[in-house]
Amino acid sequence: MENTKTLDAAVLDVRNISVSFGGVKPVQDVSFTIKENSFTSVIGPNGAGKTSLFNLLSGMNKVSSGEIIFKGEAIQSIHAHKIAQKGLVRTFQGAKVIRRLTVAENLMMAVQGNPGDNLMGFLNPRARKSFEAKAREEAMRRLDQVGLTKFADEYAGILSGGQRKLLDLSRALMADPKMLLLDEPFAGVNPTLVEKLLTVLAALRKEQEITFLLIEHDLETVMNISDRVIVMADGKIIADGLPNSIYENDVVIDAYLGSRRKDA
Amino acid sequence: MEAFIQPGFWIFVLALAGIYGIFSLGLQIQYGVGGIMNFGHVGMMAVSGYTIAVLVIKYEWNFWWAALLGVVLAALLGALLGLTTLRLSGDYFAIASIAFAEIVRYWILNTDTVTGGTQGSLAIPSPNGFGGYTDKPDVILNWISERLYPIIGDEASRDLSMVLVVWPFFFFFIWISSRLQKTSWSRVLRATREDDDVPRSLGKNVFRFRLQTLIIGSVFGGIAGVFWALQFALLAPEDFLRIVTFYGWMILILAGATRVKGLLVAAIFFGFLYGATRFLEFWPLSLLSSPERAYLRVFLIGLVIVILMVKRPQGLFGKRQEMILE
Repeated sequence: MENTKTLDAAVLDVRNISVSFGGVKPVQDVSFTIKENSFTSVIGPNGAGKTSLFNLLSGMNKVSSGEIIFKGEAIQSIHAHKIAQKGLVRTFQGAKVIRRLTVAENLMMAVQGNPGDNLMGFLNPRARKSFEAKAREEAMRRLDQVGLTKFADEYAGILSGGQRKLLDLSRALMADPKMLLLDEPFAGVNPTLVEKLLTVLAALRKEQEITFLLIEHDLETVMNISDRVIVMADGKIIADGLPNSIYENDVVIDAYLGSRRKDA
Repeated sequence: MEAFIQPGFWIFVLALAGIYGIFSLGLQIQYGVGGIMNFGHVGMMAVSGYTIAVLVIKYEWNFWWAALLGVVLAALLGALLGLTTLRLSGDYFAIASIAFAEIVRYWILNTDTVTGGTQGSLAIPSPNGFGGYTDKPDVILNWISERLYPIIGDEASRDLSMVLVVWPFFFFFIWISSRLQKTSWSRVLRATREDDDVPRSLGKNVFRFRLQTLIIGSVFGGIAGVFWALQFALLAPEDFLRIVTFYGWMILILAGATRVKGLLVAAIFFGFLYGATRFLEFWPLSLLSSPERAYLRVFLIGLVIVILMVKRPQGLFGKRQEMILE
């Protein structure tokens, strides 16, 4: 119980988690601690277990063994929606938007504590409406941040791949996260937009004190923004350290960066 | 063909439309908003109808209390269906729901001492030897007919009284339902229709939303059962075959699954199709007897569903854009 407190300012503490689906073990005995307001990237080749790890952290899948402590509380066996309510919010690889809701509705859906989400709230139209107005206002502000204002009342299904990524990120932010798990937020996004997104993330970290854990394929992209890089391969952590040290790590070079380093 | 110019025909069509319209409102909120494919909706109608018949005839309950309990039981049954099977996804739930309605029907069929079995509500054992259950509401229907008689004469039928009772309810439920579909509650539901993971990842208890929708839909199914039991004054297990659920689906598909108000028109179209086939007396249909022609409605309704799915999947009032977004 008390030992969670001894880890100073740790927002997420992952202890020896594993998961197996039949004979497949996507995540094996993974442990790490994430400090408050830090920015950590998880990199690794395809099939390394990065998304599986996110599925465990967000409660979408349950661990076979091990513990996940978020803000001092064990969350490995509680429902995904409760984990999100506690402030650990994730996005999805390939950006999942709700196509037949408008862009603004996609965002407004994410707000926490909406009295209108409850059937009893139906009986209190005044509270519902004032909450909706506020949610809409916040949604418009978020859309403005990422330049999607003009699509606010269009179906999200008309957005392009890159725009969907922006929507996905803004929507996660609407849920008032303490910590964000971003699954490949930059894949398939053009370089200019990547730069812009990185600026947005850095600003969020500073202004809203959000802790970031992000999956990325390409180390270069997250080199500058990350405090720390965790490298995964075959369901295990093979390296963990400062971005620069990862480049020097022999194990990583063999498993992942090898060919490129030789080419260079 | 002259049947179609008789007011009595159209009044019957409207009475039917009102009842089936309320029935399909249940499917509309389940499927059109929540994406839940319920193919066992007729079970809710059967339960509330039979609850009334059994309680009034066998246990001499007051009709209104029996009706209330019938709707409550339909809701509880919806909850039971949801708690046991709603974790199944899409098609699997649809199959389980068919089985569910069949269980209800077979139960009715085989508990003769309570439900009258194959002979229907006439055979429900009654302490005073009388097998009717509509005497209380009939007082109201007759009262309406008597008031109308001086004005419109012989057209003041029981059917017309039913229309005047059912349609205000139908309008009211459409109003309530469309209000409900403007809340953030329904926004979350519309999200679950496409994807479970997104609302879950944003802190929404998807199962709770789904279960609530299933129960609300079941309440509408139960209320439709009350009116159905009133309109026909006689219940039999074969009134609650699977096809009845698909009548509701036809109305829904015709209206456009997301268009509550479209149900008004679609229900009347269904009532017409249902009532009219018997009167189609031109060749070659005139070769069939009248009861045989009545079965044409099953073919026609199937045909309408197929044509709609091919030509106009969004229904008469839906937005095409909603169907094609990828």
